[in-house]
Amino acid sequence: MATFSEHLRGRSDDELVRLLLRRPDLAHPSPATLASLAARATSRPSLERALAGVDAAVLQAVEAVVALLAGSTDPADGVRARDVVAAVGAGRSDAPGVRAALATATDLALVHPAGGRATDPLLRPAPGVAELLGPSTAGLAAPAPHDPDPAAVPGLLAVAPAAGRAVLDALTWGPPVGVRPASGPAAEAVTELVRAGLLVRADERHVVLPRTVALALRDGRTHRAPATPPAPEDLPRRDATLVEAEHAAAAERAVRLVAGLLRLWGQSPPPVLRAGGLGVRDLRRTAAALEITEPEAAFVVELAGVGALVRDDGEESPHHVPTTVADEWLALDLADRWARLASWWAATARWPALVGTRDERGSVRPALGPELGRPWAPRLRHAVLGQLADAGPGAAPDAAAVREGLAWRTPRSVPPLDAVAAVLREAGWLGVLGAGALPVAGRALLDSDVDPRPALAAGLGAALPPAVDDLLLQADLTGIVPGRPSQELEALLDRSARVESRGGAVTVRFTPESVRDALDAGSTADDLLADLAAHARGGVPQPLEYLVRDAARRHGRLRTGAASSYVRTEDPALLAGLAEDPRHADLGLVRLAPTVLAAQAPLHELLAALRAHGLAPVAETPDGQVLHAAPTVRRVAAARPRFAPDDAGRGAQPPAERAAALVGVLRRAEEARAAGGSSGGAGAVVRGAAAEVAGSAARGAAAADGSPTLRDRASGVAAATAAARADRTTGARGGPRPSAGTADPAEALGLLREAAAGHTEVWLDVVGSRGALERRRVLPVRVDGGRVRVVDTARDAEIVVAAHRVAAVTPVDAAGTEPADDDAAADPRRTDTA
Amino acid sequence: MTDGPLIVQSDKTLLLEVDHDQAEACRRAIAPFAELERAPEHVHTYRLTPLGLWNARAAGHDAEQVVDTLLEYSRYPVPHALLVDVAETMSRYGRLQLVAHPVHGLVLHALDAAVLAEVLRSKRTAGLVGERIDDTDVVVHASERGTLKQALLKLGWPAEDLAGYVDGEAHPIDLDTSGESNLGTDGAPRPWQLRPYQAEAADGFWHGGSGVVVLPCGAGKTLVGAAAMARSKTTTLILVTNTVSARQWRDELIRRTSLTPDEIGEYSGSRKEIRPVTIATYQVLTLKRKGIYPHLELLDARDWGLIVYDEVHLLPAPIFRMTADLQARRRLGLTATLVREDGREDEVFSLIGPKRYDAPWKDIEAQGYIAPADCVEVRLTLPERDRMLYATAEPEDKYRLAASAPGKTEVVKRLVAKHRGEPLLVIGQYIDQLEELAADIDAPVITGGTSVTERQRLFDAFRAGEISTLVVSKVANFSIDLPEASVAIQVSGSFGSRQEEAQRLGRLLRPKGDGRTAHFYAVVARDTVDQDFAAHRQRFLAEQGYAYRIVDAEDLEQATEEPA
Repeated sequence: MATFSEHLRGRSDDELVRLLLRRPDLAHPSPATLASLAARATSRPSLERALAGVDAAVLQAVEAVVALLAGSTDPADGVRARDVVAAVGAGRSDAPGVRAALATATDLALVHPAGGRATDPLLRPAPGVAELLGPSTAGLAAPAPHDPDPAAVPGLLAVAPAAGRAVLDALTWGPPVGVRPASGPAAEAVTELVRAGLLVRADERHVVLPRTVALALRDGRTHRAPATPPAPEDLPRRDATLVEAEHAAAAERAVRLVAGLLRLWGQSPPPVLRAGGLGVRDLRRTAAALEITEPEAAFVVELAGVGALVRDDGEESPHHVPTTVADEWLALDLADRWARLASWWAATARWPALVGTRDERGSVRPALGPELGRPWAPRLRHAVLGQLADAGPGAAPDAAAVREGLAWRTPRSVPPLDAVAAVLREAGWLGVLGAGALPVAGRALLDSDVDPRPALAAGLGAALPPAVDDLLLQADLTGIVPGRPSQELEALLDRSARVESRGGAVTVRFTPESVRDALDAGSTADDLLADLAAHARGGVPQPLEYLVRDAARRHGRLRTGAASSYVRTEDPALLAGLAEDPRHADLGLVRLAPTVLAAQAPLHELLAALRAHGLAPVAETPDGQVLHAAPTVRRVAAARPRFAPDDAGRGAQPPAERAAALVGVLRRAEEARAAGGSSGGAGAVVRGAAAEVAGSAARGAAAADGSPTLRDRASGVAAATAAARADRTTGARGGPRPSAGTADPAEALGLLREAAAGHTEVWLDVVGSRGALERRRVLPVRVDGGRVRVVDTARDAEIVVAAHRVAAVTPVDAAGTEPADDDAAADPRRTDTA
Repeated sequence: MTDGPLIVQSDKTLLLEVDHDQAEACRRAIAPFAELERAPEHVHTYRLTPLGLWNARAAGHDAEQVVDTLLEYSRYPVPHALLVDVAETMSRYGRLQLVAHPVHGLVLHALDAAVLAEVLRSKRTAGLVGERIDDTDVVVHASERGTLKQALLKLGWPAEDLAGYVDGEAHPIDLDTSGESNLGTDGAPRPWQLRPYQAEAADGFWHGGSGVVVLPCGAGKTLVGAAAMARSKTTTLILVTNTVSARQWRDELIRRTSLTPDEIGEYSGSRKEIRPVTIATYQVLTLKRKGIYPHLELLDARDWGLIVYDEVHLLPAPIFRMTADLQARRRLGLTATLVREDGREDEVFSLIGPKRYDAPWKDIEAQGYIAPADCVEVRLTLPERDRMLYATAEPEDKYRLAASAPGKTEVVKRLVAKHRGEPLLVIGQYIDQLEELAADIDAPVITGGTSVTERQRLFDAFRAGEISTLVVSKVANFSIDLPEASVAIQVSGSFGSRQEEAQRLGRLLRPKGDGRTAHFYAVVARDTVDQDFAAHRQRFLAEQGYAYRIVDAEDLEQATEEPA
């Protein structure tokens, strides 16, 4: 017989090294002794980590050991490997797998040999493992004193009614607890079974299948069948060329979408919501402009956000604007751009699938919002991609199959199906998958130790089809690039045509608007036609040439410009020489027509200058009325001040200063306390200041948050508690008797702990749910986890109080008199007026 | 990656490079399941639609064939999602079947009970079906056969109609091949027989049961109808757009089949004859008096074995509803352009039947069965005064103003002079413009107001070569047979109607005895809505491979000298 720590001590150095390598948390920080190593290895967090990392077979073996020994009280008891093999129902072929799983569990110190021969030891679970696995391990109820005798069970079962048999069958493989049917034949059968002792009534509504009965029904086994890994042969397979081609197409698309987003937002940046993030309507608009669905648009936006390609510009009314990083990214070639996107995606702890879902307060989580962080996201992506890689080349499992694989590999922490589906979906959008399978480039993301970007870029580079520089132009004003357009051709089509469809090829249509865009961008008709002709395999068809020429002919026939004022006259002679006169150079006069001059100078300067020149101009209104000019006197509308003066002062105070002020307050409070609490004046100051701080915190919280209700109430409580504490701290204002009580939270908890340990009573001031103070005389029982468990002696009731609601604690003196203090009952809401 | 002629796009369009060696083989392979969308000079665009895929299923092609074809000819790897989608879509066809049950009559039978449950839950099928026989069968009211099929199509579970057709009253009809052809590629007359594509079209229709045949104007759709009648050998109801067209059908049937004038009746506004073969106009059928259609009983007047819908793209809405009741009879739709400006192509497909035959115009032109055509858009720059008038006009008047710009008269005159002696049509929308033009070029004008006899007389004279120029309004859009018109000048049209443009070009495509090229001119006022509408009108033809040349009105003479 050996205890766990004895077993550890007895391990060879190699075995210990193996243990430390497989459970690295045991080595950090280094344990001082083997005893402390054993303590650490049996601690709940460490066991939790160890179990989280084992596959289903190992977990099953551990469960079997625990289940077989459940109920045994003799520390010398143990199970042998062959018992486990039999318990999981493994046949001859599965037995070696079960034994290997047991060996792994032993290596991990999840089970340990506790006696028997070295070659066939008696195994016991490590301390703590059974508790971790829970009360009904392997679906077996915990042993109970009234369980039927195992020897008698077969006899009982033989006489069990047929209807009851179905009930037993339903509970056999667990969970062992069933709901009692209210009526009907099943209810009778259950009653019958309970009477026979084959079921045990757990409470009014539930029945439990006793352990001994379940084991008899299971033929003594703990598991129905040995856990086996899912067979990768069943997965759909994709041809490697297809995978690479679809990966390349998706990657190109993802890069194009992000670039499109940057172009779109560069021109019209969407505003930042008050609480941060992108509004639903702006997301919809972006999705429409990029011609993708909203979830995909959210993904693209998030991707750009993760790479810091866009960010909040920090202006007074902030917008999401592309950053300088975006320019660097745009300057890279396609493969490098994609490599960055893919590496950002793999590493980010943001979870774009949350966009559009609602948080616990019912508000929609926006893209780029602050609530999308999920620390497990990179791990899950890595695990999912790892599954795909393990499934072999070309395997394209669906989310359920991936989850099944994960359930085998890490049965204790199986991700939800929709999370796995989200990873697969995003990977598909991004091109980390092609046709649902992992391409060469995608494998680069699996090795987390090196920068994946070179390998990503190289993988994509190899997968991209060669660029095509040919354009087929047709008389119906469409054009087709029969392949992936070269960068130059893509740019040409981008500015002069509208894309109609993409895929293996790109088809575009030339429209008067698209040609006008090209002209607006500075091309001339000749340039554009020459550029098109240079790429066009069969020449430029006549209708297209006409389209371009017609668009060019109309282009720029209207001219617009900006002027501040003008001069007009019926008599061209009056204007003669005016525009050319060097004395008027600073007026910026331009002759638009023989009788019209435009000026850059404002009207009053123009008038003054012309009058100085000896002319007699009058000003006119837009509808031609003469404006009788008293000398122009300028006025602007008065702007209302943004803040009331005192508000402005407070608004401007930075948080650091406020904190410093608070510290000052606290210091003074400390000094006042040291002075013995005799000075009522100091107390008043302190109380006022504390209430003010609490009140402004409440307002700050309410202002920062869109929905005031909950936070407001919480802050109200905080404010009330703080105010009440301030009262207490200073002692009884005007009261002659210095109090032995305290309102300092740490001290209050200390007092409570002491009282609990010493079984003494205290006066407890608690802020009730409505913010009013209540005082009770109580006996503290336990203080932990932010809660205080107390017995209200007057009412003989046990209550639990959240620690943050405790306003003050005062030990009950020998006389048991209440610390008379009318302030305590004062309405805390008055602090809101502070 | 093969070097195939086909590029499969992720939006389910297929691009076929026509200059590729395998292009022809590929075209034949994809034609059964893909709809030809555009056929310009270099790359033809086909589209995969659920309807097209289901039609392919109906014609006996399965998803595996479709997928194999795509993989075989595709230049780049075919998107996996698309293949999955094709297989999924095609598997939806035929899970429901309309069958004739010995006891219950017409029954909707499901191979998959869940599908039946799904469609029966839908509001669309409410009232169309009767009693549920068992999990997989439900009685269908015979009268709702068409409506139900339509509803199921909309629900995405198209039913395979296995209930068959009533035979109809037998009537002997044969093709009469004793006549001579009016065409010879060498110009000489030849013994008449069905052209290969006509026979193919008639076969395609017959094997499919019901459906639509799409052939260019002038390619002899009437004869496809005649061939179908000869296959059916039953009494036949032929629905046409107007009386003139009815008479042409009659003449053509007498000439090319064994039918005698006594066996063919005309049911129109003026005559109400019901004979073994009856030709009725849509107009008389859809005539409504006091809320009822008094001539509808025509549809039940005989046990018709075949119903032919001419110019099915013009089928008026009431006819759709009536057709829904005729699902037990074979239906043949004929058209040059299954483009409906009202977008109801789907209803044509579900009620008349899927497209059974389709050939790009240019292919038939290449075979010499329709005349090559030279399409020219003449752009007329409006004089200053007209432009000012146009710019200040109310929006609703703008098209009329631009379309009937006075400058067009001069252009028409010059074109008429240029083609003097050739049979020439001037086609327009606005009567006063046409009358003015007619006076200027001294030609008779035919409008809706012209009496049938007068119209007939003028057509006969035109056909005989007594008059070489006619000015016609939109009455000329449909089925007037002007065999030797070789030049058309369109001065204005019904806004942006694509099918009208195609029909008008169609007037010219009947092969010329001397193999001449036909000329189609559209005179358009530059920088006006006229030009925008023209661009839209031309789209169908441009997509059929007819490249419009654009010529400025000022250099008309030089430009039109160039070869097409």
